[in-house]
Amino acid sequence: MNETTVEKFRVAAQMIGAEVHSCGSGLGTANATGRHFSTSNELSFFLQELAAGRSICASTLPEELQAHLSGLVVSDLSTAADATLCISFADAGIAATGSILVQLTDPAERAATALATKHAVFLRTSSIVPTLRDLSASLKAQLLGAGPTYFSITTGPSRTADIERVLTIGVHGPKELHILLLEGE
Amino acid sequence: MADKRINTNINNTFLRKALKNFATAYPIARAKAFEGIDFAALRHRIAVSKLAGLQRLPELIAQFTASAEKSGAIVHFCRTPEDANRTIHAIIQSKNADFLVKSKAMTSEEIELNHYLEARGVRCLETDLGEWIIQLAGERPSHMVMPAIHKNKEEVAELFSAEIGQECPAEIPFLVEAARNALRRGFLSGQVGMSGANVAMADSGAMAILTNEGNARLVTTLPKTHIALIGVEKIVPSLDEALDIIDVLPKNATGQKLTSYLSFIKGPTVGDDRELHIVLLDNGRTDLAANPDFQAALQCVKCGACANVCPIYEIVGGHVFGHIYVGGIGLVLTPFFHGFDKAEEILKLCIGCRKCNEVCAAEIDIEGLIVDLRDKIRKPFGQKFMFGTMMKNRKLFHTALRAAYLAQKPFQSACGRIRHLPLILNRETANRSLPPIAEIPFRDLILKRKVLPAPAKAEKVLFYSGCLADFVYPEMCSDTVESLEKLGYSVAFPQEQSCCGIPARYSGEMDVAREMAKLNIDVLLKEEADFVVTICPTCTMSITHDFVKLLADDPLYAERSKRLAAKTLNYSELAARKIPPSPPLSKGGETAKQVVTYHDACHLKRGCGVFEEPRQVLRELANAEIQEMSDCDKCCGFGGSYSIKYPEISQEVLKNKLANINETGVGILAVDCPGCKLQIEGGLEASGSKVRVEHTATLVRERME
Repeated sequence: MNETTVEKFRVAAQMIGAEVHSCGSGLGTANATGRHFSTSNELSFFLQELAAGRSICASTLPEELQAHLSGLVVSDLSTAADATLCISFADAGIAATGSILVQLTDPAERAATALATKHAVFLRTSSIVPTLRDLSASLKAQLLGAGPTYFSITTGPSRTADIERVLTIGVHGPKELHILLLEGE
Repeated sequence: MADKRINTNINNTFLRKALKNFATAYPIARAKAFEGIDFAALRHRIAVSKLAGLQRLPELIAQFTASAEKSGAIVHFCRTPEDANRTIHAIIQSKNADFLVKSKAMTSEEIELNHYLEARGVRCLETDLGEWIIQLAGERPSHMVMPAIHKNKEEVAELFSAEIGQECPAEIPFLVEAARNALRRGFLSGQVGMSGANVAMADSGAMAILTNEGNARLVTTLPKTHIALIGVEKIVPSLDEALDIIDVLPKNATGQKLTSYLSFIKGPTVGDDRELHIVLLDNGRTDLAANPDFQAALQCVKCGACANVCPIYEIVGGHVFGHIYVGGIGLVLTPFFHGFDKAEEILKLCIGCRKCNEVCAAEIDIEGLIVDLRDKIRKPFGQKFMFGTMMKNRKLFHTALRAAYLAQKPFQSACGRIRHLPLILNRETANRSLPPIAEIPFRDLILKRKVLPAPAKAEKVLFYSGCLADFVYPEMCSDTVESLEKLGYSVAFPQEQSCCGIPARYSGEMDVAREMAKLNIDVLLKEEADFVVTICPTCTMSITHDFVKLLADDPLYAERSKRLAAKTLNYSELAARKIPPSPPLSKGGETAKQVVTYHDACHLKRGCGVFEEPRQVLRELANAEIQEMSDCDKCCGFGGSYSIKYPEISQEVLKNKLANINETGVGILAVDCPGCKLQIEGGLEASGSKVRVEHTATLVRERME
């Protein structure tokens, strides 16, 4: 994954109101709003800060991430309606629009990512592609596969301009979207 | 009734300001969203794939149904709104439910579902913020994508205060938060959820939904039963076609690259007895898809861009300019979805500027379809005589125009212009004076004119002036002939030419329009000539486009109309062929350049695709420097008889144009259309402006002296 695609992703996502942070050593932090976390403690502390003392729910995360977040008290997804922060993992990123692809076939995960006030999503930089069309082969395979499926391409926080066309953030979905970039495969 | 609503909305200051702000902001946002994207290629792909799909719609429906059922969904095909309402009610009843939470679906508005369900004891809650606002107000959407654009924050605060039972200040962030909290309770207690879909895919049985607010995800997740109400025209073969639509939709709708949420749903997701019911709504769609004359209307992806750029929508809003579906495509779909009686009035509201065609995401000739549909509605009393008897008879028509010269005399002011017209004609003309009908029309003037010997090998041009120039602006015609001769053409004016038939066609009198086309084709092909030139873009469009379309099935005239179309040019195109002129036009060396601003006539730019040549001609042949105005290609509000039928609207559109002209501070406005000249000159004169309005031909001719 080349740096430019990651950089484009970062710029596009921030432009649309998401906050982009990086975890790991090699990633630059050349942006105003994003944070950089080099240790598990820093990351856990940040997430706790986001939750502001209220409950955190999380979907099933890859094992090495779970290890990183072992210091965090996390409840299961069914508590989502009361949770301030929902933590999940994205399958892919789209550089052109700063979007993330999240698998939501599990209704509990779907509800959690839509109900929580803040949504923090881990995204591997290696899974960022230039445009939506670069995902079309895998999306098509998923749609044509057996059984039901549900996925979302999320671009920034929930927004509306339905009153006097004034852009307002956070109408039904999360008011904040934090994308946590993970270096490597 | 319609007139009353028109006036109410014209005088609604908030609505006017909201629509004007949007009309100004939209093109900028849209252009930015499409940066680096070939819009023409994208929309062409959409048009081709949608049309191909419509031509085998029953097959696509069957394929989608089979795929969706395979994924575990239950599919209901509903032929009528009644079927759909009944089916949805039955699903809700089968869940012992009495509360439906909804995300935005135009199809639900189309079948008036809320009304049906609430009469049967089922509470409906719209969760899209704009939809909720209009639900509380008991209204219908005034825009497909921004349903509550007509409501200001004070009105919203009042509605919310009453609903929530607590005083809400008119502050937008507060109101949005109040809606979040109030609707959150609805999501959590809703027993059945309902959504629409932006696109459905036949090969997988999946659907895609785009939202910004995130309500569709909640509606399709929290209640265990999800009903998706989808118009059958939304079905495309596969993800490939769907991605093109997803690509164009947010950019064209609101100028966003992508909405916050794009969700793909296939089948009912597993666990706790979840059900997905897909209600496929026909309501005339399969018949329309099989109708070769109007099937293109279903290519629509419901982006609403046709409303966003419409100068009439900008003035009157969606509650006047449409029925349930609004904007240009709303006018077209209404007769098929809701019946011709609902469409009669609104079909007349289009001014014919073709701005919608320029932005349509599916390359639909919206304006053309509107005009064709007027043929199918009831005609006003007296129209048959006007077009059928009078206009078809050239001599009778021209005699009537000559008589009008005498009849208008008492109304002329000292300067010769008309400030007040008799009877119904004087309604709302206070903001525009009218030029009088000339004492001697051009067709008589030219008979007295000394014919100059044409240079050897000069290309021969037949001049088709159009009625307005002939009878109101004979000097514009003389300028045309003189300047073209000076440029080296030999020009003749066939006396038997008559009206191009556009007024008949726009009034839905297609048979008359066809007769007029044949008559003019005969006249203009009788004499051998290299070119036919017009100075009225509507006539040019009529000859090059409409004649061919009207006579496509005529064994004799199909070929003739094409032959005539191929050699017919607008003045500026013909003049531009002689750049640089040889010998040079001006005798006395270089004079100072004159600064002009240019107004693109709708039918020249979008009817004929001509907008470079007039500017070339002004620069190179009229020694002009062009200072462009804002929205130079936006309609002036004339629209032929439109300015008489809807003077209130016409005047408001004109005001926008005058403001843009005045903003340039330039003393000369160049136009290539006698209609635009009549409208704009009248507006300028009535407002006391000294700006001169001239046809390009006049400015070129002046340069020669």
